[in-house]
Amino acid sequence: MKYSKAIPFALGGLSLATAAVLFAPGVGIIAADHLDPPARTDPAVDSTPDRAADIADVYAWHTDTSVIVAMTFAGPQATDQPATYDPDVLYSINVSNSSPRTTTDIPIRFRFGTGAMDQFGVSVTGLPGVTGAIRGSVETELEKDGVRVWAGLFDDPFFFDLQGFRDTLNTGTLSFDSERDFFAGQNLTAVVIEIPRDRIDPGAPVDVWAATARFGGQL
Amino acid sequence: MKTNNHLSLRRLAMATSMVASLGMLSACFDGDDDDPVALPTPTPTPPPTETTFNVEPCLNQMIPGTGVTVAQAVVPDTLTLDLSAASGFPNGRKLPDPVIDVTLAVIFLDLSVNGPGTLAGLPLNPPANDVAFRDTFPYLAGPQGSPPVADNSGTMFTFRSDPVSSYVRVDRMGMPAVSTALIPSDRKNAYNDAGPAADANGDFVPDLAATLTGLTNALADDLTGAGLTPCAVPE
Repeated sequence: MKYSKAIPFALGGLSLATAAVLFAPGVGIIAADHLDPPARTDPAVDSTPDRAADIADVYAWHTDTSVIVAMTFAGPQATDQPATYDPDVLYSINVSNSSPRTTTDIPIRFRFGTGAMDQFGVSVTGLPGVTGAIRGSVETELEKDGVRVWAGLFDDPFFFDLQGFRDTLNTGTLSFDSERDFFAGQNLTAVVIEIPRDRIDPGAPVDVWAATARFGGQL
Repeated sequence: MKTNNHLSLRRLAMATSMVASLGMLSACFDGDDDDPVALPTPTPTPPPTETTFNVEPCLNQMIPGTGVTVAQAVVPDTLTLDLSAASGFPNGRKLPDPVIDVTLAVIFLDLSVNGPGTLAGLPLNPPANDVAFRDTFPYLAGPQGSPPVADNSGTMFTFRSDPVSSYVRVDRMGMPAVSTALIPSDRKNAYNDAGPAADANGDFVPDLAATLTGLTNALADDLTGAGLTPCAVPE
Protein backbone atom coordinates (compact mmCIF):
# COMPACT_ATOMS: atom_id res chain seq x y z
CA MET A 1 0.00 0.00 0.00
CA LYS A 2 1.50 3.30 -1.04
CA TYR A 3 0.16 5.28 1.85
CA SER A 4 1.65 3.09 4.55
CA LYS A 5 5.03 3.80 2.99
CA ALA A 6 4.39 7.49 2.87
CA ILE A 7 3.15 7.94 6.39
CA PRO A 8 6.42 7.68 8.35
CA PHE A 9 7.91 10.33 6.09
CA ALA A 10 5.30 12.78 7.25
CA LEU A 11 5.64 12.27 10.96
CA GLY A 12 9.00 13.80 11.81
CA GLY A 13 9.21 16.66 14.23
CA LEU A 14 5.70 18.08 14.10
CA SER A 15 4.89 20.21 17.07
CA LEU A 16 1.92 22.19 18.21
CA ALA A 17 3.55 25.25 16.67
CA THR A 18 3.73 23.45 13.34
CA ALA A 19 0.09 22.58 13.65
CA ALA A 20 -0.86 26.19 14.21
CA VAL A 21 1.05 27.21 11.10
CA LEU A 22 -0.64 24.49 9.12
CA PHE A 23 -4.12 25.56 10.11
CA ALA A 24 -3.88 29.28 10.54
CA PRO A 25 -4.60 30.37 6.97
CA GLY A 26 -7.42 27.89 6.54
CA VAL A 27 -9.32 28.27 9.75
CA GLY A 28 -11.47 31.21 8.63
CA ILE A 29 -14.36 28.97 7.77
CA ILE A 30 -14.20 25.22 7.82
CA ALA A 31 -17.23 23.03 7.38
CA ALA A 32 -18.23 19.96 5.43
CA ASP A 33 -16.99 21.47 2.22
CA HIS A 34 -18.66 24.90 2.29
CA LEU A 35 -16.23 27.65 1.19
CA ASP A 36 -13.50 25.17 0.25
CA PRO A 37 -11.05 25.60 -1.39
CA PRO A 38 -10.87 29.04 0.24
CA ALA A 39 -8.70 30.55 -2.49
CA ARG A 40 -11.55 30.02 -4.96
CA THR A 41 -14.75 30.16 -2.94
CA ASP A 42 -14.26 31.98 0.38
CA PRO A 43 -14.93 35.74 0.22
CA ALA A 44 -12.59 36.19 3.18
CA VAL A 45 -9.71 34.91 1.06
CA ASP A 46 -10.76 35.43 -2.56
CA SER A 47 -12.01 38.73 -4.03
CA THR A 48 -13.95 36.82 -6.71
CA PRO A 49 -15.36 33.84 -4.83
CA ASP A 50 -17.22 31.32 -6.97
CA ARG A 51 -20.33 30.80 -4.87
CA ALA A 52 -22.19 28.85 -7.52
CA ALA A 53 -19.39 26.29 -7.88
CA ASP A 54 -18.80 25.95 -4.14
CA ILE A 55 -19.91 22.48 -3.07
CA ALA A 56 -21.39 22.48 0.42
CA ASP A 57 -22.06 18.76 0.85
CA VAL A 58 -22.54 15.50 -0.97
CA TYR A 59 -24.94 12.82 0.24
CA ALA A 60 -25.44 9.29 -1.06
CA TRP A 61 -27.59 6.65 0.54
CA HIS A 62 -29.66 3.64 -0.38
CA THR A 63 -32.99 2.06 0.41
CA ASP A 64 -34.37 -1.33 -0.61
CA THR A 65 -35.35 0.10 -3.97
CA SER A 66 -33.35 3.28 -4.61
CA VAL A 67 -29.98 4.97 -4.51
CA ILE A 68 -30.33 8.67 -3.69
CA VAL A 69 -27.58 11.21 -4.39
CA ALA A 70 -27.74 14.87 -3.46
CA MET A 71 -25.34 17.75 -3.96
CA THR A 72 -25.77 21.00 -2.04
CA PHE A 73 -23.94 24.17 -3.05
CA ALA A 74 -23.84 27.98 -2.98
CA GLY A 75 -24.43 28.25 0.71
CA PRO A 76 -25.12 28.61 3.47
CA GLN A 77 -27.01 31.83 2.90
CA ALA A 78 -29.60 34.05 4.57
CA THR A 79 -33.23 33.01 4.26
CA ASP A 80 -34.20 36.09 2.25
CA GLN A 81 -31.87 35.17 -0.63
CA PRO A 82 -32.85 33.35 -3.85
CA ALA A 83 -31.36 30.11 -5.16
CA THR A 84 -28.25 30.08 -7.36
CA TYR A 85 -28.78 28.71 -10.89
CA ASP A 86 -25.59 29.59 -12.76
CA PRO A 87 -25.64 28.39 -16.40
CA ASP A 88 -21.82 28.52 -16.59
CA VAL A 89 -21.15 25.85 -13.96
CA LEU A 90 -20.91 22.15 -14.74
CA TYR A 91 -21.82 19.96 -11.75
CA SER A 92 -20.71 16.33 -11.67
CA ILE A 93 -21.73 13.46 -9.44
CA ASN A 94 -19.30 10.70 -10.29
CA VAL A 95 -20.30 7.13 -9.54
CA SER A 96 -17.89 4.20 -9.74
CA ASN A 97 -19.57 0.82 -9.54
CA SER A 98 -16.91 -1.41 -11.05
CA SER A 99 -13.22 -1.90 -10.43
CA PRO A 100 -11.09 0.16 -10.16
CA ARG A 101 -12.91 2.34 -7.62
CA THR A 102 -11.11 5.42 -8.90
CA THR A 103 -12.67 5.59 -12.36
CA THR A 104 -16.08 7.06 -13.08
CA ASP A 105 -18.48 4.52 -14.59
CA ILE A 106 -21.62 6.64 -14.29
CA PRO A 107 -20.87 10.34 -14.94
CA ILE A 108 -24.00 12.17 -13.78
CA ARG A 109 -23.73 15.80 -14.84
CA PHE A 110 -26.09 18.73 -14.49
CA ARG A 111 -26.24 22.31 -15.67
CA PHE A 112 -28.73 25.11 -15.24
CA GLY A 113 -30.35 26.95 -18.11
CA THR A 114 -32.21 30.22 -18.45
CA GLY A 115 -35.79 30.67 -19.53
CA ALA A 116 -38.22 33.56 -19.68
CA MET A 117 -38.16 36.13 -16.88
CA ASP A 118 -37.68 34.42 -13.53
CA GLN A 119 -37.54 30.92 -14.99
CA PHE A 120 -34.65 28.50 -14.74
CA GLY A 121 -34.24 24.95 -15.97
CA VAL A 122 -32.02 22.03 -15.08
CA SER A 123 -30.56 19.45 -17.45
CA VAL A 124 -29.18 16.19 -16.07
CA THR A 125 -27.23 13.77 -18.26
CA GLY A 126 -25.54 10.43 -17.70
CA LEU A 127 -28.36 8.92 -15.65
CA PRO A 128 -28.37 5.11 -15.89
CA GLY A 129 -31.36 3.77 -17.78
CA VAL A 130 -32.49 7.20 -18.95
CA THR A 131 -32.63 7.96 -22.64
CA GLY A 132 -31.07 11.37 -23.22
CA ALA A 133 -31.24 14.03 -20.54
CA ILE A 134 -33.82 14.81 -17.89
CA ARG A 135 -34.71 18.43 -18.52
CA GLY A 136 -37.25 20.70 -16.97
CA SER A 137 -37.93 23.51 -14.56
CA VAL A 138 -36.27 24.00 -11.21
CA GLU A 139 -38.45 23.90 -8.08
CA THR A 140 -40.49 20.94 -9.21
CA GLU A 141 -40.22 17.16 -9.40
CA LEU A 142 -39.00 15.90 -12.76
CA GLU A 143 -39.32 12.23 -13.65
CA LYS A 144 -38.27 10.22 -16.67
CA ASP A 145 -37.56 6.53 -17.19
CA GLY A 146 -37.91 5.87 -13.47
CA VAL A 147 -35.40 8.50 -12.28
CA ARG A 148 -36.50 11.53 -10.26
CA VAL A 149 -34.76 14.93 -10.12
CA TRP A 150 -35.46 18.02 -8.04
CA ALA A 151 -33.37 21.19 -8.26
CA GLY A 152 -34.23 24.05 -5.96
CA LEU A 153 -33.73 26.13 -2.87
CA PHE A 154 -33.67 24.15 0.38
CA ASP A 155 -32.77 24.41 4.03
CA ASP A 156 -29.02 23.73 4.46
CA PRO A 157 -29.16 20.15 5.78
CA PHE A 158 -25.74 20.30 7.44
CA PHE A 159 -25.44 20.81 11.21
CA PHE A 160 -22.17 21.52 12.98
CA ASP A 161 -20.59 23.85 15.54
CA LEU A 162 -18.33 25.72 13.15
CA GLN A 163 -17.29 28.24 15.81
CA GLY A 164 -16.25 25.40 18.10
CA PHE A 165 -14.22 23.77 15.38
CA ARG A 166 -12.48 27.04 14.58
CA ASP A 167 -11.75 27.66 18.24
CA THR A 168 -10.46 24.11 18.62
CA LEU A 169 -7.98 24.65 15.80
CA ASN A 170 -6.98 28.10 17.04
CA THR A 171 -6.44 27.15 20.65
CA GLY A 172 -5.52 23.47 20.56
CA THR A 173 -8.31 22.83 23.02
CA LEU A 174 -11.52 20.94 22.29
CA SER A 175 -14.09 23.75 22.14
CA PHE A 176 -17.31 22.31 20.74
CA ASP A 177 -20.78 23.25 21.96
CA SER A 178 -23.58 20.91 20.93
CA GLU A 179 -26.11 23.74 21.33
CA ARG A 180 -24.46 25.87 18.67
CA ASP A 181 -25.33 25.05 15.04
CA PHE A 182 -23.75 27.51 12.62
CA PHE A 183 -25.93 26.20 9.78
CA ALA A 184 -29.26 26.59 11.55
CA GLY A 185 -31.68 28.96 9.87
CA GLN A 186 -29.79 29.07 6.58
CA ASN A 187 -30.58 27.93 3.05
CA LEU A 188 -28.71 26.81 -0.05
CA THR A 189 -29.30 25.38 -3.50
CA ALA A 190 -29.39 21.63 -4.08
CA VAL A 191 -30.08 18.94 -6.64
CA VAL A 192 -31.52 15.63 -5.45
CA ILE A 193 -31.60 12.56 -7.70
CA GLU A 194 -33.28 9.24 -6.95
CA ILE A 195 -32.30 6.26 -9.10
CA PRO A 196 -33.68 2.71 -9.11
CA ARG A 197 -31.17 0.69 -7.12
CA ASP A 198 -30.82 -2.13 -9.63
CA ARG A 199 -29.34 0.32 -12.17
CA ILE A 200 -26.35 0.96 -9.91
CA ASP A 201 -26.00 -2.09 -7.66
CA PRO A 202 -23.13 -4.27 -8.95
CA GLY A 203 -23.01 -6.48 -5.86
CA ALA A 204 -19.81 -4.68 -4.88
CA PRO A 205 -18.96 -1.33 -3.25
CA VAL A 206 -20.12 1.83 -5.02
CA ASP A 207 -18.06 5.02 -4.77
CA VAL A 208 -19.52 8.51 -5.13
CA TRP A 209 -17.80 11.87 -5.33
CA ALA A 210 -18.74 15.27 -6.68
CA ALA A 211 -17.01 18.04 -8.57
CA THR A 212 -17.77 21.45 -10.02
CA ALA A 213 -16.16 23.26 -12.94
CA ARG A 214 -16.65 26.69 -14.48
CA PHE A 215 -16.96 27.43 -18.16
CA GLY A 216 -13.94 29.30 -19.50
CA GLY A 217 -11.92 29.13 -16.29
CA GLN A 218 -12.12 30.02 -12.63
CA LEU A 219 -13.46 33.36 -11.48
CA MET B 1 -17.92 -1.47 30.85
CA LYS B 2 -21.03 0.65 30.87
CA THR B 3 -20.14 2.53 34.04
CA ASN B 4 -16.76 3.59 32.76
CA ASN B 5 -18.20 4.78 29.51
CA HIS B 6 -20.81 6.90 31.21
CA LEU B 7 -18.18 8.38 33.45
CA SER B 8 -15.96 9.17 30.48
CA LEU B 9 -18.76 10.79 28.55
CA ARG B 10 -19.78 12.90 31.49
CA ARG B 11 -16.26 14.08 32.00
CA LEU B 12 -15.88 14.96 28.37
CA ALA B 13 -19.21 16.74 28.42
CA MET B 14 -18.09 18.80 31.41
CA ALA B 15 -14.78 19.57 29.79
CA THR B 16 -16.35 20.68 26.54
CA SER B 17 -18.92 22.87 28.23
CA MET B 18 -16.12 24.58 30.14
CA VAL B 19 -14.17 25.30 27.03
CA ALA B 20 -17.34 26.35 25.26
CA SER B 21 -17.51 29.32 27.59
CA LEU B 22 -13.97 30.20 26.62
CA GLY B 23 -15.07 30.10 23.01
CA MET B 24 -17.40 33.04 23.66
CA LEU B 25 -14.40 35.26 24.17
CA SER B 26 -13.67 35.01 20.49
CA ALA B 27 -17.27 35.51 19.40
CA CYS B 28 -16.30 38.70 17.60
CA PHE B 29 -14.33 36.73 15.02
CA ASP B 30 -15.44 37.65 11.57
CA GLY B 31 -13.47 34.93 9.85
CA ASP B 32 -10.84 37.16 8.33
CA ASP B 33 -7.30 35.93 8.29
CA ASP B 34 -6.08 38.86 10.32
CA ASP B 35 -8.30 38.12 13.28
CA PRO B 36 -6.29 37.95 16.46
CA VAL B 37 -6.44 34.58 18.11
CA ALA B 38 -8.46 35.20 21.25
CA LEU B 39 -6.94 33.30 24.12
CA PRO B 40 -8.55 33.04 27.54
CA THR B 41 -6.74 35.64 29.64
CA PRO B 42 -7.65 34.60 33.20
CA THR B 43 -6.31 31.09 32.69
CA PRO B 44 -2.70 30.91 31.55
CA THR B 45 -2.42 29.33 28.12
CA PRO B 46 -1.47 25.71 28.69
CA PRO B 47 2.07 25.17 27.46
CA PRO B 48 2.26 23.18 24.24
CA THR B 49 2.66 19.56 25.07
CA GLU B 50 6.14 18.22 24.51
CA THR B 51 4.69 14.90 23.47
CA THR B 52 4.50 14.16 19.77
CA PHE B 53 2.34 11.36 18.53
CA ASN B 54 2.47 8.68 15.89
CA VAL B 55 -0.93 8.56 14.17
CA GLU B 56 -0.22 5.47 12.11
CA PRO B 57 -2.29 3.28 14.49
CA CYS B 58 -5.22 5.68 13.84
CA LEU B 59 -4.96 5.38 10.08
CA ASN B 60 -4.54 1.61 10.23
CA GLN B 61 -7.34 0.77 12.67
CA MET B 62 -10.46 -0.91 11.34
CA ILE B 63 -13.74 1.01 11.56
CA PRO B 64 -16.06 -1.48 13.27
CA GLY B 65 -18.82 -2.71 11.02
CA THR B 66 -17.27 -1.49 7.78
CA GLY B 67 -14.42 -3.86 6.96
CA VAL B 68 -12.17 -0.93 6.06
CA THR B 69 -9.46 0.99 7.89
CA VAL B 70 -9.61 4.71 8.59
CA ALA B 71 -7.01 5.28 5.85
CA GLN B 72 -9.09 3.29 3.39
CA ALA B 73 -12.21 5.26 4.31
CA VAL B 74 -10.48 8.58 3.64
CA VAL B 75 -8.29 7.50 0.70
CA PRO B 76 -9.59 7.70 -1.97
CA ASP B 77 -11.83 10.59 -0.93
CA THR B 78 -15.18 9.12 -1.96
CA LEU B 79 -18.37 8.17 -0.21
CA THR B 80 -18.46 4.38 -0.37
CA LEU B 81 -21.76 2.50 -0.33
CA ASP B 82 -22.05 -1.17 0.51
CA LEU B 83 -25.58 -1.71 -0.75
CA SER B 84 -25.81 -5.07 1.02
CA ALA B 85 -25.41 -3.42 4.44
CA ALA B 86 -27.46 -0.86 6.34
CA SER B 87 -27.13 2.66 4.93
CA GLY B 88 -25.60 5.36 7.11
CA PHE B 89 -22.23 7.06 7.51
CA PRO B 90 -19.57 5.87 6.94
CA ASN B 91 -21.53 3.48 4.72
CA GLY B 92 -22.66 6.25 2.40
CA ARG B 93 -24.05 9.39 3.99
CA LYS B 94 -27.66 10.06 4.94
CA LEU B 95 -28.98 13.53 5.68
CA PRO B 96 -29.29 13.06 9.47
CA ASP B 97 -25.93 11.33 10.02
CA PRO B 98 -23.68 13.03 12.65
CA VAL B 99 -20.74 12.89 10.25
CA ILE B 100 -18.37 15.26 12.02
CA ASP B 101 -18.60 13.58 15.42
CA VAL B 102 -18.15 10.16 13.79
CA THR B 103 -15.20 11.42 11.73
CA LEU B 104 -13.52 12.97 14.77
CA ALA B 105 -14.03 9.72 16.70
CA VAL B 106 -12.50 7.47 14.06
CA ILE B 107 -9.45 9.67 13.47
CA PHE B 108 -8.69 10.40 17.13
CA LEU B 109 -9.95 7.51 19.27
CA ASP B 110 -8.83 3.94 19.79
CA LEU B 111 -11.92 2.31 18.31
CA SER B 112 -11.35 -0.89 20.25
CA VAL B 113 -11.93 1.12 23.43
CA ASN B 114 -14.17 4.01 22.32
CA GLY B 115 -16.43 3.12 19.39
CA PRO B 116 -17.16 5.34 16.37
CA GLY B 117 -20.34 6.58 18.04
CA THR B 118 -18.57 7.80 21.20
CA LEU B 119 -18.50 11.52 20.39
CA ALA B 120 -21.89 11.51 18.66
CA GLY B 121 -23.26 9.95 21.84
CA LEU B 122 -22.29 12.95 23.94
CA PRO B 123 -22.98 14.71 21.59
CA LEU B 124 -19.94 16.88 20.84
CA ASN B 125 -21.61 18.77 17.97
CA PRO B 126 -25.31 19.50 17.42
CA PRO B 127 -26.93 16.06 17.04
CA ALA B 128 -29.51 16.92 14.40
CA ASN B 129 -30.58 19.47 11.82
CA ASP B 130 -32.57 22.44 13.09
CA VAL B 131 -35.59 21.50 10.96
CA ALA B 132 -36.98 18.07 10.12
CA PHE B 133 -36.10 16.34 6.88
CA ARG B 134 -38.87 15.02 4.64
CA ASP B 135 -39.61 11.29 4.57
CA THR B 136 -40.22 11.39 0.84
CA PHE B 137 -38.51 12.83 -2.22
CA PRO B 138 -36.76 15.29 -2.34
CA TYR B 139 -35.98 14.52 1.34
CA LEU B 140 -34.29 17.85 2.15
CA ALA B 141 -36.42 20.35 4.05
CA GLY B 142 -37.83 23.27 2.13
CA PRO B 143 -36.14 26.66 2.41
CA GLN B 144 -36.47 28.56 5.66
CA GLY B 145 -37.83 32.09 5.81
CA SER B 146 -39.58 33.68 2.85
CA PRO B 147 -36.99 33.76 0.07
CA PRO B 148 -37.91 34.53 -3.53
CA VAL B 149 -38.52 31.18 -5.22
CA ALA B 150 -38.15 30.74 -8.97
CA ASP B 151 -41.23 30.45 -11.15
CA ASN B 152 -41.51 26.74 -11.95
CA SER B 153 -43.94 26.94 -14.84
CA GLY B 154 -41.34 27.30 -17.59
CA THR B 155 -40.77 24.66 -20.25
CA MET B 156 -38.27 26.28 -22.63
CA PHE B 157 -34.70 26.79 -21.45
CA THR B 158 -31.31 27.48 -22.99
CA PHE B 159 -28.45 25.33 -21.72
CA ARG B 160 -24.76 25.36 -22.51
CA SER B 161 -23.75 22.35 -24.57
CA ASP B 162 -20.00 22.93 -24.42
CA PRO B 163 -17.82 19.86 -23.90
CA VAL B 164 -16.47 19.05 -20.46
CA SER B 165 -13.04 20.20 -21.67
CA SER B 166 -14.34 23.79 -21.82
CA TYR B 167 -14.76 23.85 -18.06
CA VAL B 168 -12.11 24.27 -15.36
CA ARG B 169 -12.40 22.46 -12.02
CA VAL B 170 -13.26 24.56 -8.98
CA ASP B 171 -14.22 22.17 -6.19
CA ARG B 172 -14.50 18.48 -5.37
CA MET B 173 -15.88 16.53 -2.44
CA GLY B 174 -16.31 12.98 -1.24
CA MET B 175 -16.09 12.45 2.51
CA PRO B 176 -17.25 15.36 4.67
CA ALA B 177 -14.50 17.52 6.18
CA VAL B 178 -11.56 15.73 4.57
CA SER B 179 -10.57 18.52 2.22
CA THR B 180 -11.53 21.23 4.69
CA ALA B 181 -10.05 19.82 7.90
CA LEU B 182 -7.26 17.45 6.92
CA ILE B 183 -5.71 19.06 3.85
CA PRO B 184 -3.29 21.91 4.65
CA SER B 185 -4.17 25.31 3.20
CA ASP B 186 -1.30 25.38 0.76
CA ARG B 187 -2.42 22.04 -0.72
CA LYS B 188 -6.15 22.73 -0.97
CA ASN B 189 -6.15 23.89 -4.58
CA ALA B 190 -4.11 20.89 -5.68
CA TYR B 191 -6.38 18.60 -3.71
CA ASN B 192 -9.53 20.01 -5.25
CA ASP B 193 -8.02 19.74 -8.73
CA ALA B 194 -7.19 16.07 -8.23
CA GLY B 195 -9.41 13.02 -7.99
CA PRO B 196 -9.70 9.57 -6.47
CA ALA B 197 -6.91 8.15 -8.65
CA ALA B 198 -4.41 10.64 -7.22
CA ASP B 199 -5.76 9.92 -3.75
CA ALA B 200 -5.28 6.19 -4.20
CA ASN B 201 -1.79 6.83 -5.52
CA GLY B 202 -0.97 8.31 -2.12
CA ASP B 203 -0.40 11.82 -3.43
CA PHE B 204 -2.01 13.47 -0.40
CA VAL B 205 -1.31 10.92 2.31
CA PRO B 206 1.70 12.85 3.70
CA ASP B 207 -0.56 15.93 3.96
CA LEU B 208 -3.37 14.03 5.68
CA ALA B 209 -0.97 12.34 8.08
CA ALA B 210 0.86 15.57 8.89
CA THR B 211 -2.37 17.43 9.62
CA LEU B 212 -3.74 14.62 11.72
CA THR B 213 -0.45 14.50 13.64
CA GLY B 214 -0.60 18.23 14.31
CA LEU B 215 -4.21 18.00 15.48
CA THR B 216 -3.42 14.99 17.66
CA ASN B 217 -0.42 16.68 19.26
CA ALA B 218 -2.67 19.58 20.19
CA LEU B 219 -5.74 17.65 21.30
CA ALA B 220 -4.50 14.35 22.77
CA ASP B 221 -4.28 15.83 26.27
CA ASP B 222 -7.91 16.94 26.06
CA LEU B 223 -9.03 13.51 24.90
CA THR B 224 -7.07 11.73 27.59
CA GLY B 225 -8.24 14.22 30.20
CA ALA B 226 -11.82 13.45 29.20
CA GLY B 227 -11.27 9.77 29.91
CA LEU B 228 -11.00 8.81 26.24
CA THR B 229 -8.29 6.67 24.71
CA PRO B 230 -6.51 8.22 21.70
CA CYS B 231 -5.53 5.89 18.88
CA ALA B 232 -2.22 7.72 18.43
CA VAL B 233 0.75 6.62 20.50
CA PRO B 234 3.43 8.93 21.97
CA GLU B 235 6.68 8.79 20.05
